[in-house]
Amino acid sequence: MKRETITRMLNGLDDRYVSEAEAYLPVAVQESPERISHMKKKRILTFALAAALILLLGAAAYASWSVHTVRQQELKADFGIEENKVDSYVEYAVPDGQGQGLVLLSAVNDGREQRVYVNISPVSEEEAAAFPDKTRFVWCIEGTEIGGFAAPQLPVELSLSGTDEIRAAVMEHAYDKETQTLTLQGFLDVNMVERAMTELGTDAVPLAVQMLPEDGEPRSFGPVPFALTGEQSRVFDFGRAVYHDEELDKDIEIIGLELTPFSAVWKVSYEGAASFHTPEADWAAYEPWSLLEDKICIEAEIVFSDGSAFSTGGALTTPYKDGAVHLTCGWGGAIDIDDVQRIVLGDLVLWERK
Amino acid sequence: MTDTEIIDLFFERSEQAIEELAKKHGSAVTAVARNILGNEQDAEECVNDTWLGVWNAVPPHRPSPLRTFVCKIARNLATMKYHANTAQKRNSRYDAALDELEAILSDGGSVEAAYEAKELAAAINGFMATLSYADRFLFTRRYWYGDPLPDIARMADSTANSVTVRLFRIRKKLKRYLEKEGFLV
Repeated sequence: MKRETITRMLNGLDDRYVSEAEAYLPVAVQESPERISHMKKKRILTFALAAALILLLGAAAYASWSVHTVRQQELKADFGIEENKVDSYVEYAVPDGQGQGLVLLSAVNDGREQRVYVNISPVSEEEAAAFPDKTRFVWCIEGTEIGGFAAPQLPVELSLSGTDEIRAAVMEHAYDKETQTLTLQGFLDVNMVERAMTELGTDAVPLAVQMLPEDGEPRSFGPVPFALTGEQSRVFDFGRAVYHDEELDKDIEIIGLELTPFSAVWKVSYEGAASFHTPEADWAAYEPWSLLEDKICIEAEIVFSDGSAFSTGGALTTPYKDGAVHLTCGWGGAIDIDDVQRIVLGDLVLWERK
Repeated sequence: MTDTEIIDLFFERSEQAIEELAKKHGSAVTAVARNILGNEQDAEECVNDTWLGVWNAVPPHRPSPLRTFVCKIARNLATMKYHANTAQKRNSRYDAALDELEAILSDGGSVEAAYEAKELAAAINGFMATLSYADRFLFTRRYWYGDPLPDIARMADSTANSVTVRLFRIRKKLKRYLEKEGFLV
């Protein structure tokens, strides 16, 4: 295909894809469509709880402290924490009053990343509405060079396209106008946090959030002491099961699966795997293997006791370590890892509950 | 000023419309033009032509979202200029992106028919519908916006190496999709 034809093809890209790529939205990356159908019911429950709190405490008291508590309730319902028995989800004690600065709401360790949810205030309406095109948020560990991307926390069922839709969703779901509070999520690389703990010689690192407006001075919130939370995982050993793909005429060893309520690591091995996961890889030779790697992540099914099946979705990263490719996948709402009955890929049964 | 207010200014044929449009969406438009053309002077001309294009199109159009509409005009103008500049040595960011796609899509036979724009658009949009959100984001930023890999990695809170590997997989998927649809043999 000629370059001109490729350009003409790209010029025909639909508006929604162009618009969708204006800003990156981590919540969309983590989403798994299989879990969407449960969300609306849960949110109704959340708002019912909030309404009950108002009646119980009176509107004034509600306004003064509920922004933290209600957000905690919303997050828990949104992720399906209780119905999926997620023991590793930690909720923090929140201040009685509104408070200012950085308030830790909850955290969960998905094995690869420590997901942290916080409220920051005061954030003006204009400042909140400047996300994503005019303002960025980052989390950082004070006293170190360690930090990363943070973003307003939005319900996992949302599918957004373009900065205007993102802005509207932030104002509706993540921002509380009355208390000038914005709820953020930060995905902290567990290895980085451990490095910071070593550098600072402490188990509780000083976690802060910075708001970086395009035109204006950066503002810091926090720090607050933060310690890594425990991981809840389940390891499935497949005894080096071999999957043969007829179309590609290739065999791939599926060594095992490490599953947490929010993430999975498929461990696979095949000839030359180490060399394909370097920047100098022979891309042409890697092609069939990359298709097989995708197939495992996307087509393998984790089956639960109610008969429903879950796909871990495409891998977000694919590092090679300890003699295997680690196909790492993540999603937004929790799954019940103790309720897994079978894991299958096509006709190949990888694991079955005895 | 909101996009609706800017569009209203265009409908009133007020010259302030272009000022406000440039103020709100100028940086996005300039980035698209600069990535594709790799030359400040060409990019500036392209941006000015884009404002004229919007002036001529609004009214009657009332585009939504406005930024996407304006960036699309800029991209069409920039790619026309890019392909017209065949005599010049190319060194834009779009070259690198196009090289990556060309290397995959020119591999093997190609049915280089005079495809209608509509057919090509249907092919690329059909392919996009098969991708995950993250893959659509990476593909669009790299091949439509022409962003360099380190910038995309920064946007997606990833590493350039990880983005490189994922884009490679996406290009392979695109090739297979186009083969299946009869655009490549």
